Amino acid sequence: MEVVPALGRLLRRVEPLQAQVSISDVADRLLRPEHTAVLSLPVVDADGRPLGLVSRSTLQDIFMQRFGRDLWGRKPVSEVMNPAPLVVSLDTSLEEAARQITAQLQSPIRDDFVLVDEQGLYQGLGTVLDLLKAMEHRVAQRNRVLRKALVDLKESQTQLVQSEKMASLGQMVAGVAHELNTPLGYVKNNVQLLRELTRPLLELADAQAALGDCLADPACAEDDLARALEEAGRLRELAAPELLAEDLEQLFADTGYGLQQIGELVVGLKDFARLDRAMSEEIDLNDCIRSALVIARNSIKDKAEVHQQLGELPRIACAPSQINQVLLNLLTNAAQAMEGFGRIQVKSWSENGQVLISVQDNGCGMPREVLERIFDPFYTTKPVGQGTGLGLSISFKIIQDHGGNIRVVSEPGRGTRFLISLPCSGAEELKRSA
Amino acid sequence: MSQPIRVMFVDDEERILRSLALQFRRDYEVLVESDPRRALERLKSEPVHVLVSDQRMPQMSGSELLAQAAELQPNAVRILLTGYSDLDAAIEALNSGGIFRYLTKPWEPREMAATLRQAGEIAALRQRQATPAAPRPVSAEALNLLLLDADPLTLECVGAFCSEGGHRLLRADNLSEALRQLNEERVDLLVSDLKLGGADTAPLLKSLAQAHPRLLSLVVTPFRDTQALLALINEAQIFRYLPKPIRKGMFDKGLRAAAEQALLYRAQPEQVVTRLADAPRSQPERERVGSLLGMLGRLRERLSA
Repeated sequence: MEVVPALGRLLRRVEPLQAQVSISDVADRLLRPEHTAVLSLPVVDADGRPLGLVSRSTLQDIFMQRFGRDLWGRKPVSEVMNPAPLVVSLDTSLEEAARQITAQLQSPIRDDFVLVDEQGLYQGLGTVLDLLKAMEHRVAQRNRVLRKALVDLKESQTQLVQSEKMASLGQMVAGVAHELNTPLGYVKNNVQLLRELTRPLLELADAQAALGDCLADPACAEDDLARALEEAGRLRELAAPELLAEDLEQLFADTGYGLQQIGELVVGLKDFARLDRAMSEEIDLNDCIRSALVIARNSIKDKAEVHQQLGELPRIACAPSQINQVLLNLLTNAAQAMEGFGRIQVKSWSENGQVLISVQDNGCGMPREVLERIFDPFYTTKPVGQGTGLGLSISFKIIQDHGGNIRVVSEPGRGTRFLISLPCSGAEELKRSA
Repeated sequence: MSQPIRVMFVDDEERILRSLALQFRRDYEVLVESDPRRALERLKSEPVHVLVSDQRMPQMSGSELLAQAAELQPNAVRILLTGYSDLDAAIEALNSGGIFRYLTKPWEPREMAATLRQAGEIAALRQRQATPAAPRPVSAEALNLLLLDADPLTLECVGAFCSEGGHRLLRADNLSEALRQLNEERVDLLVSDLKLGGADTAPLLKSLAQAHPRLLSLVVTPFRDTQALLALINEAQIFRYLPKPIRKGMFDKGLRAAAEQALLYRAQPEQVVTRLADAPRSQPERERVGSLLGMLGRLRERLSA
């Protein structure tokens, strides 16, 4: 297939005039039906190079004068043509052509434009109306592409946010799973120990029951009684219940504690995810803080000690799983900022109709150029492959969606403090947007 | 009657310590510490045979504790007991702490008992050997090093190390060539990737740990797999695990330490096992190790001769 240049579609193959054609003939030609769509006719030299354009309106002006046709009709067209018409090469792009044409366009539009080939030879006429239509078509096409790009972008953004959420969720689940291993370790061992320690007790109970039977039986032989007595004594010594009591007590207590720990971790995980609750409800944010601390404990415990100062808070409407995600993000960031063993302080209070939560660490802090960008999507100071750079930008968005804001101050070498404030009365807006 | 085996457990969870102490108080003299810094203090004056430590503790990581303990009491056998699978911690515990086993929580009580028994025996043996002579002068003897890695960077490092120390460098491009070399030569050091000519070298490393417990294996690998490393520690008793791209300084340090250890082994005339590997856990791998052990038969004969 022949490649049609962009302007080829606009080409109207109007037969050109020679310079000496009379004005009268031109007027007749303009009236022909094939010329109704054009405003002007082209004039070319013997080689076919464009010399000018003669427009309908020029001829109208002439003929409207008294005796106009008689005075001018026999004169060659070259006398009244526009000698400097718009000439555009056919291989010009649509945009460039539009730029050139609109730059010289006059109001009202009286002329068309001349289309020439590479050698500058006349090929045909183009009309401004056709050009406009082509441009409109082009713009509509661009818009479609842009709209699609926007949809794609939004989709991949959603996917990224989702993958960030999954990454933090996965990290959290792995952390909690590992943390379960400690209580599981001693509970499992203790159960095995309890089994071993109670076996001699059961044997002793059996021997004492046999001895009791012997004593109760008048027909029991002296020998049998002596044997039963001896057996019971031997097993008693072996089992040493008086020494065992303390161990058993301790083992049961530790095992009970371990099971409670396991239960708390599982509840913490469930509370944290809040998959079983409504999107938005009246929540005490201190509960969110506590549950985020349970979940983050494993990634914090070898890096920092956590001090809590949780004041009494009014319940506020929010999406708790989202707030938990923000808190977990801040806590793990704080732990990762530690050089050596540090300290993280979590405070909550309420004032002026707002609930405030501050997470402060005494870690490495951030220089200003980092601080300015930390809420930017994809900004990360971690090596490639560790962290998406979305954690804080998502946190920012979540708090913003809740009608609150999140602020940060940091000093290199001293630490960083994040302050979240949420309006107590944000309930209605959130419900509407949720 | 020999002196009782002393085992120290370090964990920040007291309940773990109580549980372990109760389990082993009849078999060993059990010491427990919940603070790794206090544990280090005690290790300065109290000799132990076996040291078992948790990894994640507030004051100090387990791998750090084990590394420092290795300096204080090199003859004690060190074991990491952790609920987390953390590759970097495992690498540090092996390379700096020279751990004998990497155990995971929750542990199997019977396996723990078996591991402690082995560890206790090895430690007692090491200490008996260490007592008579003060650090004996180690002659700069030439060692044989077998390289199972086609990577030019590894070759460059190993080549430089060999020519500097006057050691002999042997090479093999595939497993059968490696087996031939191992059967014909007395190999002291082995530097191996986990892949050789497309084949997995882990079964060979595990077989060697059983057939030739004195051979020291240094693994250089681009893989970062905690489970694989754990198996290499427990079942192949590897000496070092060096992630690729290799860092020349660390690699060199590892090679030097291995050479020093190999010279010590050469200086000990009697056949004393101071390293002991677990049998592989997976059935197919156990079979593979079994057949490799057959092929390494000649090596065994020569060693026991």
